[in-house]
Amino acid sequence: MSSRLITQRLSNSRRCLNTAATNQWRQTIAEKNPTINALVCSTPPPDAPLCHGPLAGVAVAVKDNIATYDSPTTCSSLMLDGFTSPFDATAVKLLREAGADIIGKANCDEFGMGSLNKYSHHGPTINPYEHPSGQTEKRYPGGSSGGSAAAVASGVCQVALGTDTGGSVRLPASYCGVSGLKPSYGLISRWGVISYADSLDCVGVLAKTVHDIRRTFEVIATYDARDPTSANTNARTRSSEAVEARLTRWTSDRKAGKPLHNIRVGIPQEFFPSELSSSIINPVRNVIRSLRDQGASIVPVSLPSTSFALSSYYVLASAEASSNLARYDGIQYGCHVRPPLGSDITKTSKNYALSRTKGFGPEVKRRILLGTYALTADAFDNYFLQAQRVRQHVRDDFNRIFSLPNFYFMDPVSQQQHQHSADQVDILIHSSAIRTAPPIDDVDENKDDDLSSYVQDVLTVPASLAGIPALSVPVPKRFLDPQGDGWPIGVSVVGQWGSDELVMRVGKIVERLGQ
Amino acid sequence: MLALRCSLRRQNIITARYWRLFHDSRSHEPVKVDSRWPEWQVIIGIETHAQIKSRHKLFSRSLTSMYSTHTPPNTNVSVFDAAFPGTLPRLNPACVDLALRTAHALQCAIQEQSSFDRKHYFYSDLPSGYQITQQYAPLATNGTLYIPQPDGTRTPIRIKQVQLEQDTAKSTFVPRTRTSHIDLNRAGTGLMEIVSEADLRSPEEVATYVRTLQSLLRAVGSSDGNMEDGSLRCDVNVSINPIGGSPGSGTRCEIKNLNSVKFITAAITYEIHRQSSVLAASPDARIEQETRGFDEITFQTFKLRSKEDAPDYRYMPDPNLGILRLSKERINHIRSTLPELPWTTHARLKETYALSDRNVNVLLGIDSGRDVRYDGEDPGESGAVKYFDKLVEGVGSPEGKKRDPNVVANWMTQELLGQLASQKKTFQENTISAAQLGELIDMVQSSAITGTTGKHLIRHMLTNPSTDSTFKVASDLDVLALSPSSTSTPTNSTTSKSQETQAKDPLIAICEKVIAAHPTEVTKVKKGHKNVLNTIVGAVMRESRGRADAKTVRTILERLVCSES
Repeated sequence: MSSRLITQRLSNSRRCLNTAATNQWRQTIAEKNPTINALVCSTPPPDAPLCHGPLAGVAVAVKDNIATYDSPTTCSSLMLDGFTSPFDATAVKLLREAGADIIGKANCDEFGMGSLNKYSHHGPTINPYEHPSGQTEKRYPGGSSGGSAAAVASGVCQVALGTDTGGSVRLPASYCGVSGLKPSYGLISRWGVISYADSLDCVGVLAKTVHDIRRTFEVIATYDARDPTSANTNARTRSSEAVEARLTRWTSDRKAGKPLHNIRVGIPQEFFPSELSSSIINPVRNVIRSLRDQGASIVPVSLPSTSFALSSYYVLASAEASSNLARYDGIQYGCHVRPPLGSDITKTSKNYALSRTKGFGPEVKRRILLGTYALTADAFDNYFLQAQRVRQHVRDDFNRIFSLPNFYFMDPVSQQQHQHSADQVDILIHSSAIRTAPPIDDVDENKDDDLSSYVQDVLTVPASLAGIPALSVPVPKRFLDPQGDGWPIGVSVVGQWGSDELVMRVGKIVERLGQ
Repeated sequence: MLALRCSLRRQNIITARYWRLFHDSRSHEPVKVDSRWPEWQVIIGIETHAQIKSRHKLFSRSLTSMYSTHTPPNTNVSVFDAAFPGTLPRLNPACVDLALRTAHALQCAIQEQSSFDRKHYFYSDLPSGYQITQQYAPLATNGTLYIPQPDGTRTPIRIKQVQLEQDTAKSTFVPRTRTSHIDLNRAGTGLMEIVSEADLRSPEEVATYVRTLQSLLRAVGSSDGNMEDGSLRCDVNVSINPIGGSPGSGTRCEIKNLNSVKFITAAITYEIHRQSSVLAASPDARIEQETRGFDEITFQTFKLRSKEDAPDYRYMPDPNLGILRLSKERINHIRSTLPELPWTTHARLKETYALSDRNVNVLLGIDSGRDVRYDGEDPGESGAVKYFDKLVEGVGSPEGKKRDPNVVANWMTQELLGQLASQKKTFQENTISAAQLGELIDMVQSSAITGTTGKHLIRHMLTNPSTDSTFKVASDLDVLALSPSSTSTPTNSTTSKSQETQAKDPLIAICEKVIAAHPTEVTKVKKGHKNVLNTIVGAVMRESRGRADAKTVRTILERLVCSES
């Protein structure tokens, strides 16, 4: 037998193994997806699945606002109904090269705008959480990456890509009981990620374990020249060296049985408003207490600009959205409405209005209008510029309390002048959300002007405005409040820009608290 | 970043107010009365959009399309140019460098930090719904362009700013089908918007400004500056005020999209007459601030929209491109490698080399008409002045001996250009290298070839391009001058030695042959008909195929004919 034949047989046998695995994932999709509507499109198994690579055989669902060349990318919008991108997003390309099996596209709020995964052209996603009591109450998975979180929680995939603009990975992770990382801004390329708000958008990773998040993150977090905001190699190297130095000191300081010895954990007081119910606060307190038992120093800190963060976020995100979504005119691609006979087509904008009126859903329209207003000459100073000033204050707050300097947003001089003081911290811990997943009946379908859904982001937007990493990990079940509703909640670990590794290490310890 | 934007914005506002108060930088000049509108002073500012001559577009890797190449529509288009979802801009540094060259040439203050903004409007030529431009912090500010006046003086025109922005797609309306055809080849090509202050005072000054700017852009290689092809387009702001009134106190009207110098002059002239007749009609009459178009058939301007209808472009800092930071090294490098500007070249050729006006204008004329290279690449010897400079510096001479500028200029402008013209070739198609022409000039100067041969050689080398040295070409063609030295001092000596030497000399051999063939003429000369000698000289010249010098031939002939008696 020639060596070539042997190799072929070997690869055939390996392929069989993988084919079995890929078929198994698709079997699960067929069983579970119809009830939860997490995936809006599933792809056939690859002809020749890669048997090697760090993610060989890992089934990955990709949020529907991340471009894939072999399946439609609709952003859950009628506007892009049937649209297939001619290229793969850089993150998807890297996943494929690492051997991952892209099993399908995950449902989301239209263009990533929403906190429930309610506003989707494909219909809402249902939270797949299996309540211990066996009750079958229908709840939202959170948004906007609700499909990604639900897909992971229900086991139709091992890992999912989401995007996080103001909490869109962390909120659904918290509501569905999985882990979700919003990395530092600029670490994962946004080429192929359909923009909602460029200055805030991040590709995020969701999985059941922090381990799976980390190995996915390591594959896709590389410099990409096609993304002008991609952190350059210099910023990456300098921050990872600083984090590495911190980790080495930590490891050497570690005492037996005290894995967090000498780690300074900040508790930001503004993230524990009095409105937060005890069923949320108590589990987070339990986590913090356990971390202290593991050797962590618990430090109360203050981020005074937090109360303005949400308003700033909605002005900036809406303004950028109104700009980014201007391209959807129905001419080159997507939903096109032919002007009816006799209609006024002398003005281009009137022609576009027909397609845009039909193609965009209510939440998208609302944010486009808000953003358009914020950018008008009369409102620009009072809204857009004011919001940018607030954003800078939010960043300054974080930079002040973290012991590491910010290697992305700070200029070199400020990095050098970064003051070290005794009350600085390595990471922050707070609740990921102000509540558990909202029941589907709870939210009145017709009450679109209700601002309560905007408030859900209040704990997640500060990290988005600052562009810093935040990982939501489920609070271990034994820490949940007995008075609570039994639905999962997440705790967020937040770090300085570039300290994603540190955040994931601490997240892993939180994860282990439950074991 | 935030603080910077705010302060820049405020600064712009302050600057705008400042200039409004001290509107007229030319207030020290006496107001010139123009007989066409004797009661009015005219104040004009101009915005020019010059397409950057870069190989690739401003934010994508797709090729730019030149008008002259007739690229099929929608072929030079990337997913970014077509505004596909998920695409992001990537700044082309070549465009920045070319804009920096322009800014340096305009003596602007270059901003070490500038930024990009989005200007929003819905139109079919703008697939993304916004144009990326530099509204709040432009690349360069506060420059000057000196324009020549008819009396030979130069007037400074202040340049407010130079900014980078994207060109739009080309939309063509087909009236028959009532549809618009969109060509995205142009979409995303880099533009430089060059904004002047309102320092211009007549339609003719504006024409001169545009021509001067064109020659500057072409000289630094940043743009073709070609109005016919649309690579240079202008908007002008015109206001008038009574002579003696406050300059610039009139309401201005903007005339958009003027694409030839002729149209610019016509549009401004029409606009001045229109505004003055409105104001003359009654003491209460006012000019409405508005944007106007120009009808290229009737030569009239017409209202496009009034101030109230002006669109709100909802400018927003581009969140992807952030701040463009330029190092001092980069700015200085561009400055130190800036190609020579036309007026500097003019002065240098005249003052250093004492060339005639005619020769200077011929050389500069070639350069102003040549093709501008992509990405500011050095045009090398395809530039006439560069070619000339190399010749003067002694290229092609083994010792690097400098050459007489006027001799060089004559060879270039008369012989080389003359031959090129008769062969219907442009200077770019010249196949004779500066080194070859230099050697040729040296050979003529040292009488190794005759001037006639030199001219023939130029013609030959243009039709038969080669990299051989001129000496080799001349040797191969057997056109080296005959007896350059030994016969130049002929004697009456009839010693056997000298006869031997002369016998070896091919020129004397030819002369003897011709004398033998023209016995009648020889007899006539001997009888004193000196003029007949010319006939014999001509015959020798023909026989030598231009290799002989007529004077030398005459001397030899005189001697030979006399010695025959």
